Order: sequence, then C-alpha cells, then structure tokens
Amino acid sequence: MYEIGRLCVKLAGRDAGMKCVIVDVHDGFFVTIDGQTRRRKCNIKHLEPLDHVFKVKKGASHAEVVKVLKEHKISVVDPKTKKPAEKPKKVRKKKELLDQAEEEPQAKENTDSEKKSSKPIKKEDKK
Amino acid sequence: MPEPRFRSRTFKRVHKKLPGGSTVLTHEKRTPQPHKCAVCKKELKGIPRERPYKVKKLGVSKKRTERPYGGYLCSACSRKLLKEKARA
Repeated sequence: MYEIGRLCVKLAGRDAGMKCVIVDVHDGFFVTIDGQTRRRKCNIKHLEPLDHVFKVKKGASHAEVVKVLKEHKISVVDPKTKKPAEKPKKVRKKKELLDQAEEEPQAKENTDSEKKSSKPIKKEDKK
Repeated sequence: MPEPRFRSRTFKRVHKKLPGGSTVLTHEKRTPQPHKCAVCKKELKGIPRERPYKVKKLGVSKKRTERPYGGYLCSACSRKLLKEKARA
C-alpha cells in the first residue's frame, strides 16, 4: 500500500492536511515524501494513503513531483524563499585613510566650484 | 485583618519568604484552567497556562501549536478529522 508514487495525505505535524507523494521507501515504518509538504522522511502512521498511484521514479526530485501533481490538478504552493539581506561590507581602516587622503584635495575643488556656479534660489521655485 | 477584597477565594494565599528571612502572606489571582480539546475535552499540550497579561507578551508561536487546528483540537482528534476529510 505504501509504495513509490502513492498519493497520501499527511495527518500529523505542521504539514498536516497536505497532499504528498511517496518518493522513497525505507525499512519498516519510514518513507520519504514530497509534494505540497516539505520533502522529508515520515512515519507511515502519520500518512493516510489515497487511491491514486502516480508514475514517479524512486528518489524523484521536487520539480518532478510538482509536475506530476500539477498534471492531476493538485496545486503546489512553494513557500516564499526569503533572499538573505546583503551584509554591509566592512571597509578596512587602511583603505579609509587612503580614501580620505584622496578626497581632501577633491573636496576643496568642489567647494570652490560650487560657490561660483550656485545661483540664488528664487522664491517662485520654492512653490 | 486582610483588606475586604482579599477576603474571598478569588485570591489564593501565597506565603513568600522575603530576603530578610521573614515570610509574608500575599494574595495572588488564580491561574486559569488549562485549555481543553474542543472534541474530547482533554488538556491541550503546548498551550501556556498563564494569566492574560503574561500570555499577551508571548510570541504567536508560543501561544499555540503549529499544527492545523493547533490550540483548538488535540493531536489525536485533529488526526482523526483529517483522516475523515481525506477519505471523503
């Protein structure tokens, strides 16, 4: 009854109530499941077999299982995979000093040029 | 003689030892009943049994189990219900 390709419903745990397909059979009470549930090893006591057996090869990947399920009109919602936030890069001290050294002469030029080019802001522009 | 409001069994009597070594009788409100399964009335596991002001501070995942029907049905009853749903 618990063979590869069997459609089941998970009864226990966080994924309870979701449909899954048996992808691999281990010794005794354990099988590997995938589909709407997360891909994991599971005890057959926590599974309710249904009357469908899909053509899935042993150890099939998640994409293959999802494809088979979609053929039989069972939708699979992939959990949102959060993109890790970019870590701020540490700038080493030596580099900071060099940058400052370069910036100082440039900063002086900028300030002089700003004074010349800066037009007086008219009141109308503000509105 | 305790204050009139403490003369009822709403408050439980708690003896507390003070740092100085002496003990004092204090009155505390009673902890609420444990949460029960809606079907078999057994006590629910994983649900904190505290007064509302303490429960409010907890995070959502600490207030109930992560299972479907968590905090409402016990594991056995939710399993039974899901089995019936799958067979229907």
